[in-house]
Amino acid sequence: MKTHSLILKLSQYALLLLVTLCTALLCICVGSVNIPAKDTLSVIWDTLSGQPVEENVSGAVIAFVRLPRVLCVALAGASLSLCGCAMQGLLRNPLADGSTLGVSSGASVGAVLAIAFGISVPGVPLAGTMAMAMLFAFLSLMIILALSYRLDASLSTNTIILIGIVFNMFSSSVISLITSFAGDKVKDIVFWTMGSLADSSVTDVWTILGALLIFGTVILRYAKELNAFAIGEDNARNVGVDVKKVKLIVMIAVSALIGVCVSIGGVIGFVGLIIPHMTRMIVGPNHRRLLPATLFSGAIFLMLADLLARIILKPLELHIGVVTSVIGSFVFIFIFYTTRKAK
Amino acid sequence: MKCTKQTTAILAFCLLLALSGCGGAQSASVSDSELEASQTETAAGETSFTVTDMTGRDITLDGAATRVVALTASDCEILYAVGAGDTLVGRGEYCDYPDEVASIPTVQSGENTNIEQIIALKPEVVLMSSMAQTEEQVEALSNAGIQVVVSDATDIDGVYTAIELIGSVVGRGDQAEAVIQSMKQAFTDIEAKVPGDGSKTIYFEVSPLEYGLWTAGSGTFMDEMATMLGLKNAFADVEGWAEISQEQVIERNPDYIVTITIYDGQGDTPVEEIMGRQGWQSITAVQNGAVFNADSNEVSRPGPRLADAMESLYGFVYGDGSTGAETAAA
Repeated sequence: MKTHSLILKLSQYALLLLVTLCTALLCICVGSVNIPAKDTLSVIWDTLSGQPVEENVSGAVIAFVRLPRVLCVALAGASLSLCGCAMQGLLRNPLADGSTLGVSSGASVGAVLAIAFGISVPGVPLAGTMAMAMLFAFLSLMIILALSYRLDASLSTNTIILIGIVFNMFSSSVISLITSFAGDKVKDIVFWTMGSLADSSVTDVWTILGALLIFGTVILRYAKELNAFAIGEDNARNVGVDVKKVKLIVMIAVSALIGVCVSIGGVIGFVGLIIPHMTRMIVGPNHRRLLPATLFSGAIFLMLADLLARIILKPLELHIGVVTSVIGSFVFIFIFYTTRKAK
Repeated sequence: MKCTKQTTAILAFCLLLALSGCGGAQSASVSDSELEASQTETAAGETSFTVTDMTGRDITLDGAATRVVALTASDCEILYAVGAGDTLVGRGEYCDYPDEVASIPTVQSGENTNIEQIIALKPEVVLMSSMAQTEEQVEALSNAGIQVVVSDATDIDGVYTAIELIGSVVGRGDQAEAVIQSMKQAFTDIEAKVPGDGSKTIYFEVSPLEYGLWTAGSGTFMDEMATMLGLKNAFADVEGWAEISQEQVIERNPDYIVTITIYDGQGDTPVEEIMGRQGWQSITAVQNGAVFNADSNEVSRPGPRLADAMESLYGFVYGDGSTGAETAAA
């Protein structure tokens, strides 16, 4: 096992950034409509430099459809992976993730409730759904952890996963129940549950970016504490970590970030589970390296998954969750197999 | 778990469409289910006769049905159109036209079909569409002495067959024939005055951007109507109802856009929302303000109102104002 320095070197950051940018460029250039790379680049340049975009097919497709979508997908990928990584560190559990624990589906319950009861903030579309999704993500996390602690103070993998499965099922049935009673909102709810990042607008990009800047920074600042947690909660306490406070803050940040992602793009499974694992294999378990690296790898992975979803069946669209889950399952089994075998 | 949710969502969506009567969703599975004329079609209840429903099942009735439950909205509409609204004793929860149906008790339909509810209404015949039916349900109903008649229209000819079928079930063959003739007449009239040569394109938006764009491809009523209007469906290469991407719409640059989104009374109307979409300003339809909000039930239910839908679409495309088509100003 090679040894790693404590933090990523500047050159390593540059490399990650370069790969991310190249992936983004590829994803903007390729899509169900063929647009010459030259046109694409000039439109991207115009958009980014604030010049008016030409009103033709390539201008419209690149500037208003693909660019926001790719950026949104990248940011969502980064956010979800970061959340997964933080939860795995906090709970010392390799299977912890928003989707396995049921936090994402909890957030969906919040969003569906907001739609069913017409909870909204006047003038700010999506705000009601988003606030409810964040709130319910946090509540779900609290319920899941409280139950897990009650049953098994050591928070073993089995306990957490079992509770997660039960909570996931519970959330789905609550959603079905709300749908049954929703009357004329049924259509809105059904459509929302099918929603995806496909319709991302510039506003969505700014929203996720804002959330990632705030809550992502919070999580990144606790990298050291997460390292201490990785060895054990007692150890963390012994080296002077305010265990309760750190846990609470990280959990709030994680649920807020998941809530924002779910309310904009729906539940996207496996990203937060697989990406931290793969990244850990490359940069090692130190959270001061792992967390920032996860941001980039999550963005890269989700952009590529979205690219596949867009072009595999063109002109039809595939849901991004289908792609992440198929790839995710195989990668997961592979990782599981190789790590078990290594023992 | 995720996949299951996904599938459930898609199924639920299909179901919603099916229940609101979009029989066009399925590709034609029963192609030649011709209605074999009944033997002796007399007025109420003297002789038994046999009809063949649209899945090819033979159903023998003791006489014209006087108590009917219609699970599908289009069947319910047909029943009223042939003047047999008084035979309706129960309706599926999505049957909402004509207004009189409001007083008829509702039963659950689709995947929630509740056999007990139906039996309690003591109907002689239950009308349903092929999507809403399982073998077990049909068997349970026939064990209770209730005949199940399935309509399965996937094109306009299929709708004629369905009207004829339902007409004979309730002993209103003549009225059914009259309804069919008037529909045919309406379509012929419109086709006769359509100047289009199929060079202009039309894009049907079944679900709005906010929820992911869905369109009606080939094998749907909307596609068939586009052809009759002398237009080409911009997504004719796509089969049935399908999710498509914004960039495809922008590239295909339709001359007309028809949305069937129902306006919920808040914020932008569906037409305003489409006109204001970023990146859509390069589309001919948006530039010309040729965006129209059609009545979702009219254009997607396989029933007599397809003729009305056709007329409002004609009014929108060729603008003779006969139906007060709502065309947004740019």
